[in-house]
Amino acid sequence: MKNNIKSKLPWRRLDNTAKIFPMSTGEKYSTVFRLSVVIKEEIQPEILEKAVIETLERYQSFKVRMKTGFFWYYLEQNTKKPVIEEEKDYPCKYINPKKNNGYLFKVTYFKNKINIDIFHALTDGNSGTTFFREIVYTYLEMCYPNELKQENRQIRKIEYDTEDSYIKNYDKKSKSNESGKRAYEIKGKKLKLGAISVIHEIINLEELKKESEQYGATITQYLTAVLMYVIYNENYIENKGKKPIKICIPVNLKKYFPSKTMSNFFSYMTLVAQVNEEKLDSFDKIIEFVKNEFKYRLTKEEIMKTMSANVKLGNHVFIKPIPLILKNILVRLSYIEIRKHTTITYSNIGRIGIIGDYKKYIDYFLMLIAPESVEKIKCSSCTFENKIVFTFTSILNNNKIEKGFYMFLKNRGINVSIESNGVLDDISSETK
Amino acid sequence: MIYPQKLSSRKSEKILKLLLIVSIIIAIILITINKLTSPRIPWSALANCGIIYIWMTVMYSIKKGTNIAGHVLVQIILISSVILYIDEKTGFKGWSINIAIPIILIVANIIMLILTIVNHKEYIKYAIYQLIIVLISLMTIILIIKKLIEIELLSKIAIIISILNLLLSLILCYKDVKEAIIRKFHM
Repeated sequence: MKNNIKSKLPWRRLDNTAKIFPMSTGEKYSTVFRLSVVIKEEIQPEILEKAVIETLERYQSFKVRMKTGFFWYYLEQNTKKPVIEEEKDYPCKYINPKKNNGYLFKVTYFKNKINIDIFHALTDGNSGTTFFREIVYTYLEMCYPNELKQENRQIRKIEYDTEDSYIKNYDKKSKSNESGKRAYEIKGKKLKLGAISVIHEIINLEELKKESEQYGATITQYLTAVLMYVIYNENYIENKGKKPIKICIPVNLKKYFPSKTMSNFFSYMTLVAQVNEEKLDSFDKIIEFVKNEFKYRLTKEEIMKTMSANVKLGNHVFIKPIPLILKNILVRLSYIEIRKHTTITYSNIGRIGIIGDYKKYIDYFLMLIAPESVEKIKCSSCTFENKIVFTFTSILNNNKIEKGFYMFLKNRGINVSIESNGVLDDISSETK
Repeated sequence: MIYPQKLSSRKSEKILKLLLIVSIIIAIILITINKLTSPRIPWSALANCGIIYIWMTVMYSIKKGTNIAGHVLVQIILISSVILYIDEKTGFKGWSINIAIPIILIVANIIMLILTIVNHKEYIKYAIYQLIIVLISLMTIILIIKKLIEIELLSKIAIIISILNLLLSLILCYKDVKEAIIRKFHM
């Protein structure tokens, strides 16, 4: 009887990008990202649990667990309750699909902060933010029922689906010309015992905007250039780097193609800086390089090339019929090499829009991406009101890059404050 | 503060080094006692294997994020059972209860002692496991009274360390111990 009920549970395929994640991930390569919100009062766990359960009913695409098929993994409806816990561990840790009541996301809280760690097989940063924002709205409405009412939020009828927007939008004829060469790998001693350092640099948005405008650059371009410059100064020179510095920047495809999916729909562009050949040894040269790369790579045609190449690989006539057990081995082996093609990833999910009445309860949002043994540092940022929070998650046992980044902005007269999980030394007190 | 503050990398490296030095000193002391008291039975080699084994277990638990105390308790029960079984099947010469199990209990109690000192803020996580380990260690008193143990030295050391362990925990974490007992044994 129990089996009969289980076999009738709704299920869906993983989207084209998500297919790869469960095959390549593990304790050391979690592909988990985290979104957090810092609110102005201490979190009430019972209310948070109710808010998550209520939100899940509206966002059924998150109410799933991972199952193993013969050729691919798939998602099946999850009938269990989500687990809400106090935050104790490091962020972005591997979410074992067999634990956590089967959920592929994990909600935790600590003092004034709510976190959601999401396994990338479930969704991307954009849709993850939509889901998380709904949890935050619901939580605040439950905490302040007289001030905030769901009805007043004009809940838009949630028009989303779980279609594979990659399949719908890719171009069979498009060909990628991406460089297959290895990238410079940031060097340094690693932290022990699975520790992850988190350093948030909370930047004044107005001041940053003014500074980037002086270079005719967008905020993402400016921060990418600072990051590249700091890597060059603090790690590349010291280790006599020869390979190019490659910065991978995820791109939200919903800006380029029509889609209402809550599944993954992102691609990426990789900036390839041949630092030595192109003599990119000053910030001015680097920012010009970054602006040009963005101009060239952030076009629909270029994005289509990268996206289509990935879709074609996932749907290759010879790959589809390989049993999952073999695919797992092949993907893991190829990922050992693929991961070496990026120096660092920087993901900017942009402004997190919150409705007026709710804003006063929120301090700021955070985004974090899991670092791994090759890409030892990963960076992310998000904006709320006049604060842009740039986050370094790292397994390196030194904070030279984080400190260099902080000092660079400070020297340009931009106000930056620091929050961290205390694994590495405090940057702000070191530099006073 | 927006994160549960983690041990800084500097401190955790220092603690790891300190624990390594303590382990080496214990190993040397054990070898010396062995040579001086009962050179015919190389029990110190067994004890040192135990230390290495426990190091591996602790490192594994930390990396996997599992509860170290729970892990240690399960290992004590499993290894002791296997050892008793082997001794029984090979004519019960008593080495399991005289030497092996007391050594396992000593090592387990030392780990719990270190965990309590290093991480007493999170003691609630370990409390119930630690109490069970202490109770198991104290059970050897019955074996001594019943004269089932010939070499009493190691068992006595195990009992003393477990009592020390219990006292230290009560001093450092009285509230947590009380809460753990109420939580686990509520009717």
